[in-house]
Amino acid sequence: MHVASFIAELRTRGLLTPEQASTIMADEQTRPFSLHYEIRTLLYVGITLLSGGLGFLLYDHIDRIGHGVVVATITLLMAACFAYAARHRRPFSWAQVPSSGLLPDYLLLLGCLLFLALEGYLQAQYTLFGTRYGLALILPAALFFYLAYRLDHRGVLSMGITALAAWAGLTVQPLSVFENQFLTGSVSRAAIGLGAALLLVGWLSETRHRKAHFAYTYVLLGGNLLLAASTAAMFEEVLRPAGVLVLLILGVSAGLFWYGRRTHAAIFLLLGAAYGYVAFTYGLFLLLSLVGNDVVFEPALCYFMASTAAAVWFLTHLKRLTSTAAHD
Amino acid sequence: MIKAYNPTWAHQEALRQAARRWQRRGQISQPQLQTINETYPLDFYRPVIYLRILLFLLVALGYFAATGILGLFIYSAGQDQSFGSNHEEIVFGITCLLASLGGHSLLLNIIRSSRTYRAGSDQALLYISLGLAAAAIFCFVETGRPSIGGDWLTLNSPYLPLLLLPVLGLLILASVSYADPLVAATAYLTGLALVANILLRFGSGRLLLPFAVMAAAAGLYYLVRRLGQRADYWYYRSCLLTLQALALATFYLGGNYLVVREANAALSGELISQQLPFALVFYLLTAVIPLVYLAYGLHRPNRVWLLTGLAALAFSGYTVRFYHSVLPPTLASALLGAFLVALMALALRYLRTPRHGLTAASDDEATERPGLNLEALIVAQTAHAPQAPEPGFQFGGGQSGGGGAEGQW
Repeated sequence: MHVASFIAELRTRGLLTPEQASTIMADEQTRPFSLHYEIRTLLYVGITLLSGGLGFLLYDHIDRIGHGVVVATITLLMAACFAYAARHRRPFSWAQVPSSGLLPDYLLLLGCLLFLALEGYLQAQYTLFGTRYGLALILPAALFFYLAYRLDHRGVLSMGITALAAWAGLTVQPLSVFENQFLTGSVSRAAIGLGAALLLVGWLSETRHRKAHFAYTYVLLGGNLLLAASTAAMFEEVLRPAGVLVLLILGVSAGLFWYGRRTHAAIFLLLGAAYGYVAFTYGLFLLLSLVGNDVVFEPALCYFMASTAAAVWFLTHLKRLTSTAAHD
Repeated sequence: MIKAYNPTWAHQEALRQAARRWQRRGQISQPQLQTINETYPLDFYRPVIYLRILLFLLVALGYFAATGILGLFIYSAGQDQSFGSNHEEIVFGITCLLASLGGHSLLLNIIRSSRTYRAGSDQALLYISLGLAAAAIFCFVETGRPSIGGDWLTLNSPYLPLLLLPVLGLLILASVSYADPLVAATAYLTGLALVANILLRFGSGRLLLPFAVMAAAAGLYYLVRRLGQRADYWYYRSCLLTLQALALATFYLGGNYLVVREANAALSGELISQQLPFALVFYLLTAVIPLVYLAYGLHRPNRVWLLTGLAALAFSGYTVRFYHSVLPPTLASALLGAFLVALMALALRYLRTPRHGLTAASDDEATERPGLNLEALIVAQTAHAPQAPEPGFQFGGGQSGGGGAEGQW
């Protein structure tokens, strides 16, 4: 019981009254142990396994008798999930609506996952939408956006953004943006455009107070897509002129950095600084090679040493503004 | 000075955290919390996690660049001298040694001047300077050892302790001084490697190895419990928790059937693993240990035991599926998922009001559940529909890429 020493210490300093000390001591010993995160994690693992397993099962039994059973199970399960979520819905509001519980939230997510699996399967097997692939891809996006706003669910919102990106032929998953085939100019342009649109939507939701808490997801996925696409285009040299790209990345990075400081969301500082540093370095070397100096190894090492030292100094001396007093 | 950071920092941080919890639970008033915070000011620097990552990356890049410059300098300075046949290794070793010493003195310097306390930058300097010191030791052992042919970096080589012992000493010193969890964990794993090395040099040692690992884990757990009663607990808290989890994990893995069987095969150079002697013991250990961990973790309650137990249970399931395919993977995944969802739904219902000292509510009674933003990102990363198996047939299904949810078991 390591907290007991704190209580004793605060008592002797006169910062706690004797009654408070004894209540706190009693509460520390009887306070229930929270399984909140364990339950949430296992629920998420459960719905991922369930929807993934059922989804693959669809294709496994494609020409066997059990097949119809699988399709029916998925449909029923999906309907049950949506019905459960709808039954627990709260009145709509543009402000943040308090969640109606863990189970409705996660079952809604499960319903969306099953919908994706089922819709993809129906298109692959029965060509439900014929050759209008665009429709098949935009339908989940529309449904997910509607559900996300109606039921106030950030996870479904990010699924909607993913589906929208899939419609545009892109991937916005935070860790796999570089898997996009950025090798052609048109894909890069589409990615930059979609990223910019998402950034704009995020910015508008925050300033116009239309589900302001959704801004984080929009800005993060959009900013990451835009910056990754332009960085890849910069290195692959598929979009010209490179100078404009460098300036674009630097501008968006600076914007993200500013936004992160404004909203105290340090992940934007990380993104802005990392992409900005890469673009700045690339731009500098580009400029040097234009002037006619070939970049040599030793000065490059010196540059990295000096620039990182400068960046660290800059960041640690921003601390009054960015550290948010450690973790208060 | 044994402790590199100011020990009062850890104490103040933990005390303020406790006070904030009491305030949230309505046991002390807001002005009282403020008085406590003013009495225990937070005078170290540690930004939020993403900035720490950024600082870590920047310092690591700068450190490697500086090491590169130093290496080039030493290489060109030593070109006219000859250190014999091992010239390259000696130059490399000297570079690593000097860079490690330089990084370490810089580390002490920034802790003193900027009062960083696990702020990313100091961690980068610590890890890389230790890594460079280990590399330097490696280079010197490589040049100093008698020349036998072949590789000496195998687990049963008699020269391995020459590397492991000094590294272990260094890591223990660093753990005591910096109380860093990763360094402490590495020290423990180095110690395990040393135990394995000693055992494997004897003929029958391989049979004893699982039990030696389990004994070492039990010993570590006992040691951690003892150390946890010291007055400087808060300074070493993260270290001790990490070691506790690691002790439980290695105790389990030491008795896990899959690990023992495959490690046995790998050590004796067999391509296909054979059935083990005393297989029944390992079956039992694989099945029982996770359940014991879970039961203890829920009963005490103790999060380290609980989470290690969950991970161990998952690995036991993987062990079963590794040797016997009980069900087709898709069906197994769907059934397991349904079971998990149902179980969690029941748990949520059952724990709506706290029972047996357990609750489903979040610890901090905030208006919204924390971590929702992060969760949305995880959903964006992982939630995808499985694709049609053959993209060519018909039109290719056409969801976005990546089947995130493969059912492995």
